[in-house]
Amino acid sequence: MNLGARFGGAGLFVAATIAVAALVHLCVVLVIPAVASRDAYARLAELGPVGATTPLPRAAPGERRFPWDDPALAGSFCRFDLSNGPLRVKAPVGRAGFASLSFHTRHGAVFYALTDRAATHGKMEAVIATAAQLRVIVAHDDEDDPSQDLRVASPTSDGFVVMRAFSELPSLFAAATEEAQTLNCAIEPLPQ
Amino acid sequence: MATIVKVFAAGAAGLALGLAASGAILARDPPFGVVAIGPWRAAAKAGSTDADPYTRAALERSGEIPLALGEGLKLVARVDSDGRPLDRRCVYKIGPHTPTARYWTLSLVDRDGFPVEDAAGRYGFRSSEILREGDGGFVIYVSALAHSGNWLPIGHVQDFALALRLYDTPLAASAGGIDKSTAPTIVREGCA
Repeated sequence: MNLGARFGGAGLFVAATIAVAALVHLCVVLVIPAVASRDAYARLAELGPVGATTPLPRAAPGERRFPWDDPALAGSFCRFDLSNGPLRVKAPVGRAGFASLSFHTRHGAVFYALTDRAATHGKMEAVIATAAQLRVIVAHDDEDDPSQDLRVASPTSDGFVVMRAFSELPSLFAAATEEAQTLNCAIEPLPQ
Repeated sequence: MATIVKVFAAGAAGLALGLAASGAILARDPPFGVVAIGPWRAAAKAGSTDADPYTRAALERSGEIPLALGEGLKLVARVDSDGRPLDRRCVYKIGPHTPTARYWTLSLVDRDGFPVEDAAGRYGFRSSEILREGDGGFVIYVSALAHSGNWLPIGHVQDFALALRLYDTPLAASAGGIDKSTAPTIVREGCA
């Protein structure tokens, strides 16, 4: 074997290795969302059943579930399943300090969020529905008495709602926790 | 025969390399969509449904419940203003301003984003509780040993990061447009 062929063989080996590595890497990145078993939704499922308002553990050393959570925020969540109807989310706000609602897909990404700045009549409120349910709701709207509901289409039938409440001072954390617990998630029947 | 061995060797090496690279890349900050503001890094689209596949995969693996753009923005620093990795043997001075936000918090976390155990039980500062200078600016000292003023202890950890969260900030919609001069600097004061 002459030198050129030997070099060519090694080059081919390296190229093949890199090609396989690139393929494996692409597959891993694209497949993780489909197979991740310890994503946020799965971790929340360990804490509370679907539909129930459940407190989020406060960020602390030794609490290894939700990275990058802020210890200054109190939180609560409810998981939802829209297969039995749209979900009405309500949270009264009246405390000094920031509060927000975020609506997450089954994969954790946020598809809508609002803060207490967007609250009307002292509460944050929205209706989450699938695209098909939204069409039914809109078809039943009374044109003379338009609905005041904020309606949000959910990209996935399963998902979760998170309420966060900011405590201005450490001593106010208990009040923020109490406010986060006022999150209310209820399935509504579709209009017939 | 030699060819078949080589093909298998390339396949095996490629598989190993691909898995190792995927693990390494997903454990770090996402490679795309990260905005640098001085020493701070923000992945503004991290929590949104149109994030890139790397960012989505990293989110699912970590279990993080992301902040929505409408709620606020999370900035993370793993280096000081001169680009040197944060070192627990050093004293850092952080200030004097932050980008506009209704509230902000600055907290110290381990490399995975969890608060670090420390005897003082101080994991972060809120904008609403901090001692300020006469001109409205602030200084936070980050060090392993107690410091006068706003002291954020480093605690029992080798690698740490600083997380700055801006709640209800007009910047969230355009993270790329944050003026570098408004972000707090992280100045290394001295090292033991």
